[in-house]
Amino acid sequence: MLLFSLPWVIHFPGLSIEGHRVLSIFLAAIVLWVTEAVPLHATAVIIILAQILLISDKALLTVPDGFDPPSFRIFFGTLADPVLMLFLGGFFLAHGAAKFDLDRNLARVLLRPFGISAPMILLGLIAITAVFSMFMSNTATTATMMAVVLPVMSQLPAKDRMRTGLALCIPIAANVGGLGTPIGTPPNAIAIGALARNGITIDFLQWMMMTIPFVIVILIVVWVVISKFYRFGGKKIELSIESTFNKSLPAIVFYVTFAATIALWLTSKLHGMNSSIVGFVPVVVLLSTRVFSAKDLQSIQWHVLWLVAGGIALGIGVGKCGLDAWLLGLIDWNAMSSVMIIAMLALTALIFSTVISNSATANFMVPLALTLAVSGGVGISPLTAAVFVAIGSSLAMALPISTPPNAVAISTGVVHTKDLALVGVLVGGIGLVLFLSIGPWFWKLVGVLH
Amino acid sequence: MKGLVILCIEDEAEVRNAIVRDVESFADICRIDEAEDADDARSAISQCHDAGEQLAIVLCDHMLPGQSGVDFLVTLNDNARTRTTRKVLVTGQAGQEDTIKAVNRANLDHYIAKPWSKENLHAVIKEQLTNYVLECVEDVLPYVSMLDGPRLLEAAKNRSQSE
Repeated sequence: MLLFSLPWVIHFPGLSIEGHRVLSIFLAAIVLWVTEAVPLHATAVIIILAQILLISDKALLTVPDGFDPPSFRIFFGTLADPVLMLFLGGFFLAHGAAKFDLDRNLARVLLRPFGISAPMILLGLIAITAVFSMFMSNTATTATMMAVVLPVMSQLPAKDRMRTGLALCIPIAANVGGLGTPIGTPPNAIAIGALARNGITIDFLQWMMMTIPFVIVILIVVWVVISKFYRFGGKKIELSIESTFNKSLPAIVFYVTFAATIALWLTSKLHGMNSSIVGFVPVVVLLSTRVFSAKDLQSIQWHVLWLVAGGIALGIGVGKCGLDAWLLGLIDWNAMSSVMIIAMLALTALIFSTVISNSATANFMVPLALTLAVSGGVGISPLTAAVFVAIGSSLAMALPISTPPNAVAISTGVVHTKDLALVGVLVGGIGLVLFLSIGPWFWKLVGVLH
Repeated sequence: MKGLVILCIEDEAEVRNAIVRDVESFADICRIDEAEDADDARSAISQCHDAGEQLAIVLCDHMLPGQSGVDFLVTLNDNARTRTTRKVLVTGQAGQEDTIKAVNRANLDHYIAKPWSKENLHAVIKEQLTNYVLECVEDVLPYVSMLDGPRLLEAAKNRSQSE
């Protein structure tokens, strides 16, 4: 409340009246997201209402002369932003995978070729977890895979360090794997949504080309570190690998829809439907074939979508009211090299999201990062800026509270804070350095960044 | 997290101590309380509600002085605050009629015949406590390592905070 009222009392030179109002909202939003005084998604709807009441064409307070207020429809519209439709498609696929037990069955089938050697099983777990978390939420993936390894862990002797290694590799692989696709984790969607509003579109395949090579390298490091540190070498692990796929008609309709949606996402260039439109296809198919009932529709995690919408709304307000330009004027950016600025953005995102939600971090960092890049003069492309914030947010996993997958790992009782801290800091550090050193160069190479 | 309570109701002190000893391994996630008859149990339950705790399971003998175990379980089932509590009868002497009443009117969750085996008692409590946590506890993660982990994780998929 105090921070909210600050810009109403104190006048900052160079900032317009509407800019002061958005600054209030912005500061209050950060405080609410950090303290979680209200749930994260509640903060998002507070932002939307506050902006409508303060700076839209339906504002209760008179808008200052010379300011063209955005329509209130724009702020409500964020709740159905195209990037949310992309995510909704992802949620439908993830919900169906759980409903028809596709996730657990696939996990068991895919683990089979990795044999019984302990390091190979570990590699299999890391790879499968990462791939799953590209299409399901990191948390759901972690819960699914943890349920697969719990019985294995309980067969190992209590003192065996492999137990910790097995439970630890899953949240780490899920967090890293989430970077792999636009629907992998909300920060990716927040970055993509904000970029789209600035006229920069990234399709499904382009995003994968930007991140997957890095994801693979980071995961190999994770594999080597965990198998060394938790002594997997030379041991064997027996897995129960029975799997019974659901072969009912609705399940088969779902499998086909699942495969077709992913195929459509990867081939946007050929058919011209962008990834948001493709995301809406499984929604239509699964509801109209009655594979999904109204009850399934209700179990979709709408609060995650609304959280993303809050971030997009915040970005619109910041951009429309000149707050961005003013904030930028506060620091002499020319004194810093562009690499330093990117490093600072990613590191700030990493630090924030170590202690607060990744999505909330991306929600307030992406608008700032984009502003910085769009204003020009600092030599960073908007794409680089936004994507680095998303990467920084996702690589934060050093504490149990950093992200829900970590909390799931801690709940098994075999992973302790020091395990997460060690591997989490290592992965965050190596990942960030890797992206910073060759990311932009590689993105130019694959033709996504110009 | 709100504390969960397991209440053991048994009039013979020796038997009661044996039950309490056998469920002690759940003490990390539950408080274990005991009562010697139905009246004693009622006051234990109201104390636990006053302290903001949730009564997760009652392990109840049938042949109690005063109100019978089955009749007591029926009153628990009729009360909104204890309807979700998992009701387990631990007895050797409940006749067919009483047992039918327990199933139909007390919504009995499990019947353990005396003498019980520790392993069986454990398995029953683990299962019933998992059922209770899934139905009545919002944050299931603190219970994953002690109870049925895979089932709890399945529920955690949809209940966890935003990433």
